[in-house]
Amino acid sequence: MNPQKTNGLSRRSLLASAGAFGAASLAYPRMAISQDGKILTVRSYSDLQLLDPAFRLSLPEEDIIRAIYPPLIEPVAGDVWQWKMVAAASIEQLDGLTVAFTLKDNMGFTDGYGEVTADDVKFSIERIADPANESPYAGDWSALKEVEVKDRLSGLIHLKNKFVPLWTTTLPTPASCIVSRKAVEEIGGKIETTPVAQSGQYLLTEWVPKQRTILKRNPDWAHEPGGFEEIHIIPIEDPATAERGFEAGDLDYTWTSVSSLPRLKESPPAGSVVLEKPSLAYVWLGMNKDNEALKDVRIRRAIQHAIDREVVVDAAYFGAASVGNGIIAPGLPGNRDSVTYDYDPDRARELLAEAGAEGLSVTLDILNQTERLTAAQVIQANLADVGINCEIKQNDSGTFWSLGSKEGDYFLELQLVLGRYSMQPDPSWATVWFTPEQIGVWNWERFDSAEYKELHEAGLVESDPAKRDEIYKKMQALMDESGCYVFLTHEVVGAIHKDTIEPGLKPNGESLLADFKPA
Amino acid sequence: MLNYAVKRLGLAVAIVSVAMFLLFCMIYLVPGDPASVALGPRATDAMKEALRVKMGLDQPIWVQFWNFFSGAWTGDLGQEVLSGRPVLDVVLEQLPFTLALIAGGITWSVAIGIPLGCWAAINRGSFADRLVGILSVAVIAVPSFVIAIYALLIFSVSLRWLPAIGAGEPGHLGDQIVHLILPSLAVGLGWVGYIARMVRASMLEVLEASHIRTARAFGLPENMITYRYALTIAILPTITLLGVGIGQMLSSAVFAEIVFARPGVGKLVYDAILTRNFPVVTGAVLVTTVIFVLLNLVADLIVGALDPRVRSSF
Repeated sequence: MNPQKTNGLSRRSLLASAGAFGAASLAYPRMAISQDGKILTVRSYSDLQLLDPAFRLSLPEEDIIRAIYPPLIEPVAGDVWQWKMVAAASIEQLDGLTVAFTLKDNMGFTDGYGEVTADDVKFSIERIADPANESPYAGDWSALKEVEVKDRLSGLIHLKNKFVPLWTTTLPTPASCIVSRKAVEEIGGKIETTPVAQSGQYLLTEWVPKQRTILKRNPDWAHEPGGFEEIHIIPIEDPATAERGFEAGDLDYTWTSVSSLPRLKESPPAGSVVLEKPSLAYVWLGMNKDNEALKDVRIRRAIQHAIDREVVVDAAYFGAASVGNGIIAPGLPGNRDSVTYDYDPDRARELLAEAGAEGLSVTLDILNQTERLTAAQVIQANLADVGINCEIKQNDSGTFWSLGSKEGDYFLELQLVLGRYSMQPDPSWATVWFTPEQIGVWNWERFDSAEYKELHEAGLVESDPAKRDEIYKKMQALMDESGCYVFLTHEVVGAIHKDTIEPGLKPNGESLLADFKPA
Repeated sequence: MLNYAVKRLGLAVAIVSVAMFLLFCMIYLVPGDPASVALGPRATDAMKEALRVKMGLDQPIWVQFWNFFSGAWTGDLGQEVLSGRPVLDVVLEQLPFTLALIAGGITWSVAIGIPLGCWAAINRGSFADRLVGILSVAVIAVPSFVIAIYALLIFSVSLRWLPAIGAGEPGHLGDQIVHLILPSLAVGLGWVGYIARMVRASMLEVLEASHIRTARAFGLPENMITYRYALTIAILPTITLLGVGIGQMLSSAVFAEIVFARPGVGKLVYDAILTRNFPVVTGAVLVTTVIFVLLNLVADLIVGALDPRVRSSF
């Protein structure tokens, strides 16, 4: 089936529509989409590009993929990180290296590809793990040895070594979504924008590029149905545009920008509910230790002491976000209450004098977004207060995300950078980007610590929560000591929805489309 | 006339070639690694390198330029970076929305601008004339995105008369027209001022012409003189102006498409630049440049056909 729809107009439809238009526009000035409560209209921040669980590119695609290719398990909507079974009828960890699963019966693929079997699970997981396929998500299954098929619906996932994030950031994600071996092999091994052999709670029935994606309930799904008959996903990159679309009644749910939260909370549009969820993302000021001007750790330490993090975060997020003390968000092992080197401008001045760096000039690269610019301006003022002249350089996203790349020509010129990475509910997802292997890839501060790397690897196999907590706190302390980081915030996620719906959201505010329900 | 048309066509080809060469130079100078941006943080070095090769970025710029142009002549604008879809298909999917937006903008500007210009000319020196003059400058001076946002806040958010986002139900013309009203107003309103002023000036000149005085002497009705004999001549410069105006409307369309979350070539190019999806950028810019040049060519040929002085001066 090819759900892509074109916009061809026939003379017949043109004449018919034109005739109806006059009357319709008078008698029915607003074409409400979700008027009957059966259709949910939500915004996504980007259009779909790839529907393959092994090659997905963005969160909005994950939403769709999870709806049409059921994962073994997925997060539970609510405020606590838990998981529930979707394709799995049962799943359990037999020992540190083995997970047993049994699929629900009566799950079938569309387009005549038969039932969903344990062999499809084997295919779906092993194709992600196989280095030959070059899946960006191979790391999720880096501990995989093989998937053993026991019978039609049952199998065993064998691991080479213990892998604690398996239950938090691998299995409950599209990394466990099931695709049809036969269908995917027939199309050459990769699903692009046309889904094949769908089997989830919903079916992707229409994709009009840059306009909308429509999911309809799968009539053959014999288990818990999705909350709405249809879900219309509208790609709107700009959050302000989405907010206006919501206020005009064109959307049922959207994320909002953090800067809009105070206004929306103070005077929410009639019939709407404003939500504020804690984010897992982390924002920090990074310092490139290999840059000539920042090589002396005393200068980096002075900058750590110069920044009033409370003021930066308050100004940038309009009081909606609180200060973060590391890269690991509250609620996860390794979250900290404080940083080692906090705001102390007198100490900053002393350190600069010791280093002979009075009158230092630095550049601060940021992404051209409102929150970042405001944060950068406060940082600039803080630095000026201790005698450092700071020039802010705004970059578009394409430029910004290549600044520290070793393949570019700017990575050694980079001095200060305001970074923000998103996160999954396991601390290893935060720490992985700062290992020595990531220098010049995503570790732009060029922080180089063998001890940090050892701790990162230890954290992946340590199942005792107390010991994990200790490991990840120690790693962030090493980051503090390097003088390369000023941790700012974990932000908040803002969302707004009509009071006629009950949104299905993960604890960090990310959506679970099938869990949206009429209120 | 044939000689004139051939010369104008040659000029059009030269304009497209130079525009595309400049675009390639700009793309070459733009910072940021397209492969890293497209593939995201989890891509390995090998994956990024493979994508660079696929995009032809490992080739010298003149090879990239030659490959693009030699393909473009045969209708092959390359493939979209990640999905592998033909760029021509991607652009043609979006093109009708932008053309509809510009057509809507022209409709607004002509439907309001020409009567206003005529009215001002007929009532030269009156309060109404001065009011039209002030309004014309005002709408020219206000950027289209400001008009777009205010129109949206008033008619969509506050009054809820018109939709705020999207292009309407695919295949449902009535809904698509409703979705077109505000964006096309935002695109076209500035041109109301240009056209009103142009028509007014042109009408004043024509109304003084000897054939109009003769018509009056014969006692023809004033409306007939104004609209049949004066306006048909006075409107000629407006056609040329609209030809140029389409280029500016194309750039205004980007703002309208973003503010109203409409699909369209402008937004396609904007998104593609942010994601360094260069095949889409070059393909879309080529298509829009060709359209712009062709429309100008048509406008020039129409004026040339109507006015022999233009033909002889070329």
